[in-house]
Amino acid sequence: MSEIVNTDYLQCLLKSWSVKSAESQSWLNQLRAQAIDRVSTQKLPTRRDEEWRFTDISPLARLPYQSSQPQYDLQLHDIEHLFLDEAKNRLVFIDGHYSPQLSTITDDKALVIGNLPEFLSAEGSILQSHLGQYAQFDDNVFTALNTAFLRDGALIHVPKNILIAEPIHLLFIATQNEVTSYPRCLLIGETGSQVTIIEDYVALQQAAYITNSVTEISLAASAHASHIRIQRESTQAFHLANCAVSLAHASNYQSVSISLGSQISRYNLDVRLTDEAAECVIDGLTLISDRQLADTHTCIDHLKPNGTSHQQHKCIVDDAAHAVFNGKIIVRPHAQRTNSSQSSRNLLLSRAAQIDTKPQLEIFADDVKCAHGATVGQLDPEEIFYLESRGLSEMAARNLLTYAFGAEIISRIPVTSLKRQLEQTVLNQTQSK
Amino acid sequence: MSAVLQSLVNQPYKHGFVTEIESDIAPKGLNEEIIRLISAKKNEPEWLLSFRLKAYQKWLTMTEPKWQNVQYPKIDFQEISYYSAPKPKKKLASMDEVDPELLRTFEKLGVPMHERAALAGVAVDVIFDSVSVATTYKQKLAEVGIIFCSISEAVQAHPELIQKYLGSVVPVGDNYFAALNSAVFTDGSFCFIPKGVKCPMDLSTYFRINTEGSGQFERTLIIAEEGASVSYLEGCTAPRFDTNQLHAAVVELIALDNAEIKYSTVQNWYAGDENGVGGIYNFVTKRGLAKGVNSRISWTQVETGSAITWKYPSCILRGDNSVGEFYSVAVTNNYQQADTGTKMIHLGKNTRSTIVSKGISAGHSNSSYRGLVRIAPTAEGARNYSQCDSMLIGDQCGAHTFPYIQVQNNSAKVEHEASTSKIGEDQLFYFSQRGIDAEEAVSMIINGFCKDVFQQLPMEFAVEATKLLSFKLEGSVG
Repeated sequence: MSEIVNTDYLQCLLKSWSVKSAESQSWLNQLRAQAIDRVSTQKLPTRRDEEWRFTDISPLARLPYQSSQPQYDLQLHDIEHLFLDEAKNRLVFIDGHYSPQLSTITDDKALVIGNLPEFLSAEGSILQSHLGQYAQFDDNVFTALNTAFLRDGALIHVPKNILIAEPIHLLFIATQNEVTSYPRCLLIGETGSQVTIIEDYVALQQAAYITNSVTEISLAASAHASHIRIQRESTQAFHLANCAVSLAHASNYQSVSISLGSQISRYNLDVRLTDEAAECVIDGLTLISDRQLADTHTCIDHLKPNGTSHQQHKCIVDDAAHAVFNGKIIVRPHAQRTNSSQSSRNLLLSRAAQIDTKPQLEIFADDVKCAHGATVGQLDPEEIFYLESRGLSEMAARNLLTYAFGAEIISRIPVTSLKRQLEQTVLNQTQSK
Repeated sequence: MSAVLQSLVNQPYKHGFVTEIESDIAPKGLNEEIIRLISAKKNEPEWLLSFRLKAYQKWLTMTEPKWQNVQYPKIDFQEISYYSAPKPKKKLASMDEVDPELLRTFEKLGVPMHERAALAGVAVDVIFDSVSVATTYKQKLAEVGIIFCSISEAVQAHPELIQKYLGSVVPVGDNYFAALNSAVFTDGSFCFIPKGVKCPMDLSTYFRINTEGSGQFERTLIIAEEGASVSYLEGCTAPRFDTNQLHAAVVELIALDNAEIKYSTVQNWYAGDENGVGGIYNFVTKRGLAKGVNSRISWTQVETGSAITWKYPSCILRGDNSVGEFYSVAVTNNYQQADTGTKMIHLGKNTRSTIVSKGISAGHSNSSYRGLVRIAPTAEGARNYSQCDSMLIGDQCGAHTFPYIQVQNNSAKVEHEASTSKIGEDQLFYFSQRGIDAEEAVSMIINGFCKDVFQQLPMEFAVEATKLLSFKLEGSVG
């Protein structure tokens, strides 16, 4: 029965698929066709799949939302409050469609930045060698769907030894009800380049819709990228995201991902350290309440020696919300002298809240330093007592400690205005009612 | 240096020999007829036969699990002979009457049974293949009301206890191999400690697989009534064979109010040769139910043998304030595979559990820790601490951890820590500075690594385990 529903769901989605062949290159059409092929052979995952054990997305199968149509009635002043002061470059996507009127590009001399289709001829060979190469869709139905519907997308290509000081803001705004949007990002950092991008998912109204996003990041030797990802979708929305990162020799990837919105959200982050001495620092914060479900799956794959990875993921779960964390670290044979640490810390604020965490290590090399830790609990009564003994009320002490728990991750964001905004959000959410 | 370690690890299995005793073997294959035959041979009551048949029906509907991190060729369950018993002889009154061949076997294993029984005060219930051959100290235990015998005897003598508890912790359809075991189990141990009795001695059973091609399906049931306590030891060695042997046992523990059960295992079955040929498949379901308030179940295991070890001794902490413990050392070498760990299911209030798991992998082996800590919504104030450390010796082996933590109560506190390390050159250098050679240094480092677990073992097992570990890993570190 459920299988029939599943196939129906995928078939329904595919019905709205149409290739804009006029503007496309043959390799891109081929990529889409391959993706469609994969979609038709796959099923929507169920809780019987190990990767989806704790996240039941069966409600999705009843919502075969068609892919969104572009809407152009949004004005600059409608969305101005979402802009960040520091970001001089801003790409705005409305329901997955690029909006040149609302976007601002100032650095187009120094780097390649803009909507994907604009660069299909000028950057054709580069795009071909990167697009769809990191986010594999063979066994991921959502990446396959996104690739099949691939049209607009953010492209950032930072040339060799170029340092971009100001962050680049990629703003994905949801405005329509009952549609599926397929945002796509591609960041290519050439040798020695440096860039900060903010991937920001917001909604203008409480609507039920599906966001299926794919981000690919490729860093060449000694490139640095800081990737901030904020998911603040409508609490009726579904957010399914895949991010694939490929790190070359001595490159450095820093990521902070914050999950606040969505009814059900799922974020897969796959980082492959494909050459020696690559480094990554991955931080995450999930802050949810009501009946929200937020699932974060990360996989850090050390393929070559001397790699370093540090990860910290925190969840604050209130009401009847449910947080899931699955962090896998793989150390492949011969990836000697890998240094890897991972910690999963979780705070349950209410009796009905639920956490499933699985920090996982798979190690095939002997000369490595790998450690992980996981804790689940509530606030330490001694810490509360300490604050009370200094004159705070119990509630103030609790609020302060909860805020501090979340703010540790927020403080890693290198963009001041965004940091302030999020600190305020955490503060509002962690105040006892 | 690594050559020294290699030679140390690669010591041949010391316990590989076959004892020739005439066996009464059932034809190969599994069907209802065989199950009826086993039941009839053992003169079992009707309800037990229907228990078996129910399990068999359930088994037919199940498929072999695939999620495990171990690989093995498909087992042909029709190629296994499900019953083999030494030819019945007259009942034995003393150790002198035991088959001298059998006694020699144990001597070769370094288990001087009579000596041990006399000196150490251990009652040994010897399982040779599937039928209990000799039981000592029975009378002494009977004086305080403890029933300690083979499960087939218990079926005859205390059917009400068996009927009440068998399958109550591990239901017949629990998993593929438990269902198989429930259908065809031939023998095992039964232990019943009545209310308020502290068992005056450690109980120990030696399991041994002897007939080539015969799988062994042991069933162990231990019940500790209110306020009772017992420490049970299980040790295993098996002779060398080239065809893989399946061992799918089920162990059920039940602890009522204020009762305490401590279950210790030293497992050193034939692990296959250095090319991974042969060896035992050790697929065991072990589970304890801490049913009563303040009850305590403790698992300690030292797993050094078997081609594949795949088991998760678990605790269901139902009683309020009940305690579950799991201490494990798993050593794998050559092509051995181990996927082991525990499940701690917290249901009662203020339940506590501790998990300490140490994995050592050498050669081409892979060892995994897979554990589940589940805090149910009812488990107010539950507490868990888990620690799982792995040590890798050589770059051909693998160590994996799969800890599942599921928390549904906000008053619970769960902590998990894991680390991976190796024996460092600098550590060995430090030892050699002080005149200790590499081999001894490695042995000391490993024993230090496993200390937390060995401390939990009863004295004589701790000695045996330490020895076992050093000869298992002799020559593999460098």
